[in-house]
Amino acid sequence: MTFTRRAFVSTLAIATALSAAGIAAAQDKPLIAIITPSHDNPFFKAEADGAAKRAVELGYDTLILVHDDDPNKQSQVIDTAIARGAKAIIIDNAGADASVAPVKRAKDAGVPSFLIDREISESGIAVAQIVSNNYQGAQLGAEKFVELMGEAGNYVELLGKESDTNAGVRSSGYHDIIDQYPDLKMVAQQSANWSQTEAYAKMETILQANPDIKGVISGNDTMAMGAWAALEAAGRTDVIVVGFDGSNDVRDSILKGGIKATVLQPAYNQAQIAVEQADQFLKTGSTGLDEKQLMDCVLIDESNAAKLETFALAD
Amino acid sequence: MPRSAFGVSVFCLALGLGLAGCKIVPDPDPNEAGATAAGQSDDERMQAYAADAWEPRVLPVIAGKRLPLRDLRQQLAADPSAAGAAHGLRPQGDSNPWNFAVTGEGVITGGKTDSRAAKLEVDTDGDGKGDLTIQLGPVIRGTAIRDAMPFVVFTDFRDQIEFAKLANAFNAEAHKRTPFPEGDIIGQQVQFEGVFTLQGKGEKIELVPTALSYGG
Repeated sequence: MTFTRRAFVSTLAIATALSAAGIAAAQDKPLIAIITPSHDNPFFKAEADGAAKRAVELGYDTLILVHDDDPNKQSQVIDTAIARGAKAIIIDNAGADASVAPVKRAKDAGVPSFLIDREISESGIAVAQIVSNNYQGAQLGAEKFVELMGEAGNYVELLGKESDTNAGVRSSGYHDIIDQYPDLKMVAQQSANWSQTEAYAKMETILQANPDIKGVISGNDTMAMGAWAALEAAGRTDVIVVGFDGSNDVRDSILKGGIKATVLQPAYNQAQIAVEQADQFLKTGSTGLDEKQLMDCVLIDESNAAKLETFALAD
Repeated sequence: MPRSAFGVSVFCLALGLGLAGCKIVPDPDPNEAGATAAGQSDDERMQAYAADAWEPRVLPVIAGKRLPLRDLRQQLAADPSAAGAAHGLRPQGDSNPWNFAVTGEGVITGGKTDSRAAKLEVDTDGDGKGDLTIQLGPVIRGTAIRDAMPFVVFTDFRDQIEFAKLANAFNAEAHKRTPFPEGDIIGQQVQFEGVFTLQGKGEKIELVPTALSYGG
C-alpha cells in the first residue's frame, strides 16, 4: 500500500492541480501526508511507519513521501500533498530555514503542518513543532561518557555533516558537559559526515597519530559503528565509544560489550504523537498545546539496550 | 573551548516590517554570536534571565508547590498520575515527565564530593540506606528547575540550544546557593528543599537543591 502510493505519487509529482484534485475527491477517507528524509535510514522509516500506523488507526488515508533532505524536492512533495487535498502534513523537514517557505505555502493553502524531529527557524507557521531534544540527549550521552572515562583522559569527537543543524546541536550538548571536566582532553575533532565508512577511515588515521586515546564520542550511531570497527581492527577494544540515535546496530554492539552507550530519539512515538495532534486539530481547531514541544531523548546502555527495538523502548 | 561552528541564526528585526524585516545572518558560533542587539552570547543572556527570575519568580513557584518528600512518595506509590496532576509541574504535553518540588531531611550515607558532578546520598526514611541523591554540582544533571517553571515556554525561545542554556543557568543559580558539607560527610544531618524530575519506576530521585543546610 505504502509502496504503491509512493510510486504512484512520484510519477505524478508534477501532476496538474486539476487532475490531482480529481484523485483527492475519489477518496472517501481524509488524507494525511507523511513526509520524511529517505527511508534508507531506518530512523526516518521508523518515523514514517509510526505516523502511518497511527493515522490509519484514527481513520485516515496516508500519503507517504520522501524529500531526501533536499529542500527543492521537499518543496515539490509539499506541493504534491497540497494538490492531493491532504488535510494535514506530518513532516521531518529538510532544513530550518529552507522549510519555512513551503510550510507557509501549505498553511496558506489551508493545510496545517505538524513538524517532527527538527525545528524550523520561525514559529507561527506550523501548528506544532515536536522537537527531539538533541541538546538534552547529547548532554545525557556526554554525562555517561564522562562517567565511563572516569572524568579524565584523551578523547576524540566525530562530528556529523556540517550542513545539518543537529551536528552542531549535538556537539554543543557534548561540550556543554565534557568541557566542565578539565582533565578530559580532546585530541582530535573531525567530521565523518554521518558516514560509517568515513568514520572508519578517519578513526584509523586518528589512532595512528594519537595511540593514547581513551574514548570516542560520536555525533551519531553510524559513525560510532565505523569508529568501533576501526578500533576493533587495531585491537583497541579498550577504547570507550558512545554514539547517538539508538539504532539496532549499536544496541547489538552494546549487548556484546562493544560500544558502551547511545542516546535514543523516540522517533516512532514522536511521529504517532504528531498524528494525534493533527487529528485533534482537525476535529477541534486546536491541539490545546504550545506550538513548540520538546521531547526528551533517553540514554541507552547495557541496562536497557535489550528493550530497544526500531527506535522505540519497550516498557 | 573548542566549539563547532555550525548553524544559522535568523534575526527578525522588530521594526514593524514583519517578515519583510527578516535578515539571515550567518552565525559562526552559537556561544559567542551576538544573538541580541546588546551583543550578549546565549550563555550570558540566559544567565541574566535566570538570575533575574530566581527570587521573584522561581522561588515562589517552588514555595507554592512544595510538599514533604515523605508525603509525595506515598502518593506516587498509590497513583503516580494523580500525584502528578495534584502536585507536579511540567511543560505542556503528556509525554513530558513530571517535576516536583519537595522538602525534607535525612542523614548523609555517602556521596561523591571530589567530582565536578558532586552529589550526596541521603537516607530520608530511616532505614540506613541512601534513597535520595542531592546534586551539589557544579555540574548538575537535568532540566528539572526549568521544566518546573510554568512561565518558561519553549516557543518563546529561539531554539533548543538557547533553551538548554536556560536550564544550565537555572542549575547554576541553584549551585551558587548550595553549601558544601564540611569534614566527614557520613552521618551528617541535612535539611533540603529542591526540585526533581520523576524518572522511570524505581529510579532514585536526583534532587536539584534550592535550599540546603547541614547539622542540627
